[in-house]
Amino acid sequence: MPAPAATYERVVYKNPSEYHYMKVCLEFQDCGVGLNAAQFKQLLISAVKDLFGEVDAALPLDILTYEEKTLSAILRICSSGLVKLWSSLTLLGSYKGKKCAFRVMQVSPFLLALSGNSRELVLD
Amino acid sequence: MVRFKHRYLLCELVSDDPRCRLSLDDRVLSSLVRDTIARVHGTFGAAACSIGFAVRYLNAYTGIVLLRCRKEFCQLVWSALPFITCLENKGHRYPCFFNTLHVGGTIRTCQKFLIQYNRRQLLILLQNCTDEGEREAIQKSVTRSCLLEEEEESGEEAAEAME
Repeated sequence: MPAPAATYERVVYKNPSEYHYMKVCLEFQDCGVGLNAAQFKQLLISAVKDLFGEVDAALPLDILTYEEKTLSAILRICSSGLVKLWSSLTLLGSYKGKKCAFRVMQVSPFLLALSGNSRELVLD
Repeated sequence: MVRFKHRYLLCELVSDDPRCRLSLDDRVLSSLVRDTIARVHGTFGAAACSIGFAVRYLNAYTGIVLLRCRKEFCQLVWSALPFITCLENKGHRYPCFFNTLHVGGTIRTCQKFLIQYNRRQLLILLQNCTDEGEREAIQKSVTRSCLLEEEEESGEEAAEAME
């Protein structure tokens, strides 16, 4: 009697993290422009809506931390939406008529990696 | 081989108002679909879908529309169709919606599907119609379409036998 075929299951995780975290900073051409957290989020969503439409503007995007003085923030986006968010941040040119640009400083699938940045490390 | 592949979306325009279908025009429809894609999928979607986009067939009496798009962006166009809610023409707004009946790779497959669909619709109309004059007219069209069907089948069998 032939032996029954051995069944096995192999589970492969290609990317264990569902979310990607980005550390970004908004720079304006002229100083003296302030945004609060709600306006910042509105800016991000309108950037994605311009480029990718209403469907992708509804992607679950969260601002985890926001500093008003330096206009820098840590964003969380689901992994499938990372490319769309990053490309719409790249193509954003102005806010209320004033020229601005987003600088992306760090991107990682793990939040812990954003706590330290080797580029900002100061060697004595 | 190297060629541009397309997808043909066979849709039906459903509306309460009977004037809505009669005011269909291929330019009006084309601009409506493009605007909806721009709203739903943004500048990227509008640019991607408008390369191979065309309205290939339009029947104002039955409201059947055949749209063509590139195969890679078929999903973008298809997903934007449910967001079309009203048709504007000369200042009149008619609420309507698009029902996608079939997606095919060639016009011929869509045509075959449409012929079968129309035959089924005739039978449904026959069941639902109330007026005697209408009933006779529909019965005549049903018998004519059955005869045509038999002719087609015998034509295909003859072609196979010759091979």
